[in-house]
Amino acid sequence: MSHDPLPSRAPSNPPVAAGQNADQSADQSAGQTPDQDRAAPQRPPARRRRRFSVERGWFPPLGNAGKIALAVSLLTGALTHGYHLFRYPLYLTDEGIYMQRAWSLVRETSLSPYTYDYDHAPAGWITLAGWVFPLPQQFETFGNAINTGRFLMLLVHVASVYLLFEITRRLSGSVLAATVAAFFFNVSPIAVYYQRQVLLDNLMMFWLLLSLFALLRRETTIRSVFGGGVALGLALITKENAIFFVPSFIYLLYRRIKGSPSHRFLRTLWPFAAAAPIGAYVTYALLKNELLPSSFDFDLNNPPADHVSLLYTLWWQLNRSQGNLLSHDGLLYTSWLMRDSFMLIAGFAAMLLCLWWGLRDRQRNLGYLIIGTLAFGYTFYLLRGSVVLDFYVTPLIPMFAMCIGMAVDRLLKASFKNRFLRGAHGLVRVGAPSLVAVVLLMSPSSGYLVHTNTEGVVQIADQYQKKLNLTKMQHDQIAWVRKHVPSNARIIMDDDLWGELHDVRPFYPYAHSHWNAASDPDVRDKLFKKRWQNIDYVIMSNKMRKSMATNNADGRENWILKALQHSDRVWSRIQGNIRLEIYRVQ
Amino acid sequence: MIIPIVYLVLVLVSILLTVQSTHVLYLMLYTWDRRDAERKARAPDTFIPPRLSFSVLLPARHEEDVIQSTIERVVRADYPAELLEVFVICSQDDDGTVKKAEEKIDQLAREGLHNVRVVVFDDGPINKPHGLNTALPQTANKVVTIFDAEDDIHPKIFRLVNTVMVKERVRVVQAGVQLMNYQSNWYSTLNVLEYFFWFKSRLHYHAHHGSIPLGGNTVFFARELLLRLGGWDDRNLTEDADMGLRISAMGERVRVVYDDRYVTKEETPPTLGHFIRQRTRWSQGFMQTLKKGTWKKMPTRKQRWLAFYVLVFPRGQALLGLYLPISLGMILILKVPVLIALCSYLPVLLLVAHFLVQMVGLYEFTDAHGLEASPKAVLRMAIAWFPFQMVLAYAAMRAMRRQLAGRHDWEKTQHVGAHRGSTEEAESRVA
Repeated sequence: MSHDPLPSRAPSNPPVAAGQNADQSADQSAGQTPDQDRAAPQRPPARRRRRFSVERGWFPPLGNAGKIALAVSLLTGALTHGYHLFRYPLYLTDEGIYMQRAWSLVRETSLSPYTYDYDHAPAGWITLAGWVFPLPQQFETFGNAINTGRFLMLLVHVASVYLLFEITRRLSGSVLAATVAAFFFNVSPIAVYYQRQVLLDNLMMFWLLLSLFALLRRETTIRSVFGGGVALGLALITKENAIFFVPSFIYLLYRRIKGSPSHRFLRTLWPFAAAAPIGAYVTYALLKNELLPSSFDFDLNNPPADHVSLLYTLWWQLNRSQGNLLSHDGLLYTSWLMRDSFMLIAGFAAMLLCLWWGLRDRQRNLGYLIIGTLAFGYTFYLLRGSVVLDFYVTPLIPMFAMCIGMAVDRLLKASFKNRFLRGAHGLVRVGAPSLVAVVLLMSPSSGYLVHTNTEGVVQIADQYQKKLNLTKMQHDQIAWVRKHVPSNARIIMDDDLWGELHDVRPFYPYAHSHWNAASDPDVRDKLFKKRWQNIDYVIMSNKMRKSMATNNADGRENWILKALQHSDRVWSRIQGNIRLEIYRVQ
Repeated sequence: MIIPIVYLVLVLVSILLTVQSTHVLYLMLYTWDRRDAERKARAPDTFIPPRLSFSVLLPARHEEDVIQSTIERVVRADYPAELLEVFVICSQDDDGTVKKAEEKIDQLAREGLHNVRVVVFDDGPINKPHGLNTALPQTANKVVTIFDAEDDIHPKIFRLVNTVMVKERVRVVQAGVQLMNYQSNWYSTLNVLEYFFWFKSRLHYHAHHGSIPLGGNTVFFARELLLRLGGWDDRNLTEDADMGLRISAMGERVRVVYDDRYVTKEETPPTLGHFIRQRTRWSQGFMQTLKKGTWKKMPTRKQRWLAFYVLVFPRGQALLGLYLPISLGMILILKVPVLIALCSYLPVLLLVAHFLVQMVGLYEFTDAHGLEASPKAVLRMAIAWFPFQMVLAYAAMRAMRRQLAGRHDWEKTQHVGAHRGSTEEAESRVA
């Protein structure tokens, strides 16, 4: 390149240093402010103690210890969630429903094989379909549809571990906090139980963590904030309850872009990006003429019969209520605390601590405020008295894990002020959390690694128990059906078996779940005509009888229950409190 | 058979439009998105003493109304008179402008200022690049620059460029140009914002990647570079863009400075007719430059692609103008399936994003120049937005028609000095 710098041939004046120029002060006084320091939240200059600010994006570098902790966390996550993944827990109804809808997308290009009534936004099973579609054997790549979905959950979990680790580290400035958070996210039995399952909540949490991560980049660029907005929008159309996290996101965005030269663009484009996926969902309903109920009829007692409607379903969901979560027979005591009381109690306490620290000094404790309000927002959702299902606790797990991580870190830091502990700085910091982790892993009462079985023997916990293969019971059930039931039989079952009977030859096109048989006009009125005599077999999944009773408030399942009364049990398998059966209707 | 093909075309065009709009959006926000770009775009905070000498070319045609004040602004700039020379360039038939310029020169001479001359040319073609080529051999200073007759230059512009050229060792500088009269008529806000995003953001991206169509004024060249290139292409309607690509093809680095404080202020064309003619000329010029093929001589594929992308845009715009009503008609008449309709939702989403960015841009622009954007202005912009896109598409189609018909004459844009009236007092807040 012929570059002949112009100054070399310029007239004689020697270069003058900027500070020597008399003109310069006049120029500066013309309104120019040397504000380079303020303009860019760059990495702060090296100091003995590294500066840390969530607001300005001054995050400490990961460092070697951080890299090792992150690698160990990722590996732990892959192991705890990957090992035994296809055997435990039992395939759940909801897992079957989401895979069934992904199946419908791949095979029929529609959002559901039945009437899609907007009960959930569809991004979750669109993602599942996107995952399954390119696989060599599609739904059967990992054995069956739910296994294939569960493998995606494993990948999503490992990605979420990275996000959770980095988010906690950036909000607290501490690798210790991130490591503790990742430990609970990976190892807590309640986490392993729900996060292995094909649940919209797990996908929603991935998008949500991604969105949060995008707001915690060192520099808040328009691209990262826009991407974060889109991820939040995807979280919202994966599962609508992500809305309870949104206020914390708005506050974090506000704090991070305050004073930024591009703040106007950021505060406009972030909500736009978040709204875009929701807009697509609404447009879908609009194009199908299913946005509004016919004649704007929002009467909850008499649902409009002619077509489904997004807004009506939303209105119905907002207005339904259920018993108290905290009552002695509520899910909290009967399910969640039984799975991991330590994590839930410690998480709740840590949430309160984070809120306390965050609210007391919003300027300095932004990280605590964000994590505390995120956990609080979702706790509020669970406690507010609407319908709560067993797995609705899932999004609370990473939030509580992060709260615990941050609280532990802060309490340990505070302990260094104690003159007796100050000398053993590093030892306490690593030793105390490690001791708790070892106790949790070794204690049979925690169920983290070992537990006491019904005969009082200490053994490896169910989630890692080699001898325990719960899903084999369901495989046996299917095997029996294939051997003894003709493929044109009219079958009532639950959705956990749907993929097996509809995507593996021979197909059972007349096998439908009791949910759909009781409510979908095509199945109920055309195939079964609401007569028990039209049912050939009832395949009972675990706790299906209870589900039928719950779903029968208006008598919609009576004809199916009557079929059970007129049937013979032809197969059964019972293990612990799990009971699977098959009935042939007379 | 036809219907699936129509669907396929709809989906493909929708995806293509989405990708293209996203890219344009990125270019519009480039400087705001990247702090390093934003820092580089700014003018230096302090200036070094004058060291370079400048030859200012002022091409003017029928600019009787504004030429005197323009000369006045240039010679009164905050730069030593001995380092400045000014050439007012007119064609022989333009007596009015010549007379006004000479009057001003006499007046300045009486004050002891002798650094302004009129250069008159009598051969064709009568257009700006030919005028510039006529004056170029008469220049003597190290740096040659061009201002248009209606330009309001900042008094410190020479000191700024002197500093940048010396300190950063660059030989080509494009400084910011900004239309100011954003409330003059229905399209002026959008026209103003086009300039704002183009100079403040997009040009920096082009400069960074070494493939930049330069602007027509407030652009500074080392004189020897211009001589080596043989001046401007006087058969090209956008000689400025062509010059930029030729310089880029040489591998010469171009420094773009857009600092709200030092922009050259201009006005939007006074009537829709003038606006369409100006835009037609630009579109046709880009088409000519594309055909000429300078862009093919660029060293890297990325540079060639970027230049091609810019030059082909008017053709795309013309096709888009045709496509929009057709696609709307197809969606309404054919009652397309939901998935395909959702695909065509994507470009609409991007249109909304563009509008939001323009809206924020209006606030950024007014804020930077000490003006105030009212919700009324935003509303007017919203109403004008779609018609404005249609006008641009029309101008692009018109350019295409002229190009096909072999008409390459220069359609001049009239200037009435609206930006001076409206912004004389409203100097940049920080200036």
